[in-house]
Amino acid sequence: MSIEQFKNRNVSDDYFLVDIEDYPTDGWGKFKRVVKRTFQGELFVGLWVVLREMIKFDIHTVQYPKEKMPIGPRYRAVHEMKRLWESGTERCIGCGLCEKICISDCIRMETRIDENSRKEVSEYSINLGRCIFCGYCAEVCPELAITHGGRYENASEQRAHFVMYEDMLTPIDMLKAGQQQEFDGFGAITPHEDERVKKTPLAY
Amino acid sequence: MSNLINFTIDGKAVTAKKGETILTVARREGIYIPTMCYISKTTPCASCRMCVVEAEGVEGFVLSCNTPPTNGIAITTNTQALENERTNIMKLYDVNHPLECGVCDKSGECDLQNKTLEFNVSKQNFSARDQHRKIENWGLISYDPALCILCEKCVHVCNEVIGDDAIDLQFGGYKSKVIPKNSDTLDCTYCGECIAVCPVGALISTNFKYSANAWELTRVPATCAHCSGGCSLEYETRHTGISSKDNSIYRVKNNFEFSSLCGAGRFGFGFDNKTTKNPDAFARAFDAIVNAKAIRFSSMITNEEALLLQRLKESLGIKLYNEDARKYALFMEAYASISGKKHHSATLEAVKQADAVIVIGSMIATDNPAVRYAMTTAAKHNGAKIIYAHPIEDALMQNTITQFLKYEVGTEEGVLALIAKYLLADCELGSDEKAFFDALDDGYLSAESNIGEEELSLMMKSLMRTKNRVLVVGNDLIAHKEAKNIAKLVAVIEKYSDISVLVVPRDVNTLGVSLTCKLDCDDNSLENVVGYNEKGSFVIASLAGADLATPALNQQEGTFVSIDNRVIPTNAALAFDGYELHDLAKELGVGKQNTIDFTKELPQESGFKALEFDVLENFLAPLGEDVRGYMLDQVEVAMDGSLDELDALPEFNGTIIYNVNPVLQFNAYTNIASQLERDTTLRGSAQFGAAARISDGDQVEISFGDKTFVRTFKQEESLKGTVALNPTFDLEGNMESYRFQKSKIVRVNHE
Repeated sequence: MSIEQFKNRNVSDDYFLVDIEDYPTDGWGKFKRVVKRTFQGELFVGLWVVLREMIKFDIHTVQYPKEKMPIGPRYRAVHEMKRLWESGTERCIGCGLCEKICISDCIRMETRIDENSRKEVSEYSINLGRCIFCGYCAEVCPELAITHGGRYENASEQRAHFVMYEDMLTPIDMLKAGQQQEFDGFGAITPHEDERVKKTPLAY
Repeated sequence: MSNLINFTIDGKAVTAKKGETILTVARREGIYIPTMCYISKTTPCASCRMCVVEAEGVEGFVLSCNTPPTNGIAITTNTQALENERTNIMKLYDVNHPLECGVCDKSGECDLQNKTLEFNVSKQNFSARDQHRKIENWGLISYDPALCILCEKCVHVCNEVIGDDAIDLQFGGYKSKVIPKNSDTLDCTYCGECIAVCPVGALISTNFKYSANAWELTRVPATCAHCSGGCSLEYETRHTGISSKDNSIYRVKNNFEFSSLCGAGRFGFGFDNKTTKNPDAFARAFDAIVNAKAIRFSSMITNEEALLLQRLKESLGIKLYNEDARKYALFMEAYASISGKKHHSATLEAVKQADAVIVIGSMIATDNPAVRYAMTTAAKHNGAKIIYAHPIEDALMQNTITQFLKYEVGTEEGVLALIAKYLLADCELGSDEKAFFDALDDGYLSAESNIGEEELSLMMKSLMRTKNRVLVVGNDLIAHKEAKNIAKLVAVIEKYSDISVLVVPRDVNTLGVSLTCKLDCDDNSLENVVGYNEKGSFVIASLAGADLATPALNQQEGTFVSIDNRVIPTNAALAFDGYELHDLAKELGVGKQNTIDFTKELPQESGFKALEFDVLENFLAPLGEDVRGYMLDQVEVAMDGSLDELDALPEFNGTIIYNVNPVLQFNAYTNIASQLERDTTLRGSAQFGAAARISDGDQVEISFGDKTFVRTFKQEESLKGTVALNPTFDLEGNMESYRFQKSKIVRVNHE
């Protein structure tokens, strides 16, 4: 779309003005409106619409939780810890930047030196009960190791479930199957978003 | 007049004293010159060339770190050409420097990182062929040659300040690296000063490596609680782990630019006591103190708690035992009776500035590393003559000392009398002293002590034309049977010459306790004695096996008196959940709200000032001035003492052991610090082994006085003579007696 099209203030056929009667100002006028509404049978118009749609079986309601809407790539839900595609090892190098930047102080990690003299993350936890899902941790991560995923259902019977590193880490079989989702990150465009862009009616 | 040089830096008129360089003047005047390899406490390394400046009328650039200014010269520090030069140096430093800031321990406090950002070096325009460089593990210290920028700070510090001279640079162009000197692996005292000064992550504490990041650690300014040096340090604490709410100490750092720290201070921080409140034990402790006849305590105590014990003594009418501090107090009392001053006159700074140091009666490198470092600094920077008088040669001091005076065990009094006689030969003495020295039987003393006329003349020759002289007096003189007369001799030397005196206290706060408490003589006769960090019928201690657990010195706040006669504050690095001595004192009616409320009540007759704890600072100023706490006021006392005639010198024959701790070990607290090596062997020469009829690896039972214990004998090549070294840090009970002991050594059969 070019900018000229947006500058065209002429409202297209998709939009029309609704014909609304003036509000009654005196008692008699109000009385007449009540009588008119009561006996016109407008109620049945609504009932008919429901009945008609029910018979058509063309239902638009999302059947949650059986059915879920795809979540936008910008959405910041429960974190995921990613693995390296080549080796399958965890991407996290334990630099501690997520821990430092976290404004609700909910990330903690323990690091140590491993047998290969490399830095190893021995413990990692995010307290999702405190997390405000601001996304700073994912933004600061130099290795694209911690990202936000699309799992937005945060209900559990136990608080401990909110801090489990194993749940965040991509399972190795998923990685091998090539199913690890990369995080498109901040400012990422929802797929096919272009087609859904409509002109905003600005000329009234 | 001729000592002052007037010149300008960036148009600002400045004045330099003789010996100052352009850089030191600029720093003093607050003019910024970037450096990478400069460290204030050593001679300039001059390896980085970052500190270049322009001098008017001089072609090319001048290194400001090692160039003294001349009169009237105009220095410019910030032209475009200099900026380019410095940026190019930074670009070179960054060539192939591993991009591992994400995991590097230095990240966040790295000089290279800072300067790279400062000079905006965002890309590498040229490169060198990379090579594999192996990470070396030297025990407590790890070295990663790939990260090393070859600034040479570590080498300079090791050689010029510490005196180990254990590391060197292996030159080989791009392959250059730091290597252990004349050895395959690092063989040194593990002071870790090289770690401290390393501007990048090349030299790193093995224990700390990859365990935490610089920015996560909370820095708690404190004072080292291992010896009387009173070194300033910072405990760096952080949560213990993800599932713990407690903090733990991750490492210890010091202001390496101006001060040094030994390995025990740097690595021996894990001695904190963990416990919870136990009201039963507290009630028993209360009863024990109420019923006690005496309290025996160690000098590992703050001044405030010492004062608290003194108050307990006054209110309960009990006795206070601390043989270590009592002996020190007696020594200083005798010293004061001649010198007229309560406190000794020298400080560590005086030793650093000295051009001659005489050490007597101390294995100083292990007794008090701070004194050793000060002497090394003096020797390397001022060419100071170091005279070291002791019965045992110390391999650690070999690089530093000018002359070793080996005297016979037990003859300290005679040795000091001889030294005094020679030192004071040309001085106007008082009649008493003159009579004393005239009456000395030089021949007898020389024969008994094995210090000959030639040695003393040689000493006088090397002391010729020296101006700032310090006499360092060690524990062997303080704990000596004739300590009183020795102290008077020391005072006489000080009184009639320009020599200042440093009396080395044995423990952290021996000096403070000796000034705060009125101590009683401990003859081990009383049964009902409460021990505070000491043995007793009821033990209140911060060590394992105590009847009531109390906080260790890194969990307490309070003050110590250091060897400098400086009252220095220390702060609690870690929390303590149990009871402390003060809680007991509160129950006994002598308490206040906090222990530190006693700080302002420390006895002013001993030189303390009536200052609140909270007004005491604990840091070194930007230019290195020690502003920690305050100096004790000098107290004038009556000069009513006089020298006693020398009795016959004692003779020590047979198997003699010397109770001295090995490197990095001082006391029961260093003993439990996890990183420090625990060498509990009896170390002796082959000669000693032959005399005692034991050989390397034998289990031997050692007994002297009322003490008996079993040790493994280790024969060491570096040792000579017939005295073996016995560590005391792991032994129970007070070892304040004279450290040379005639002892029975019996081989016990292996099971």
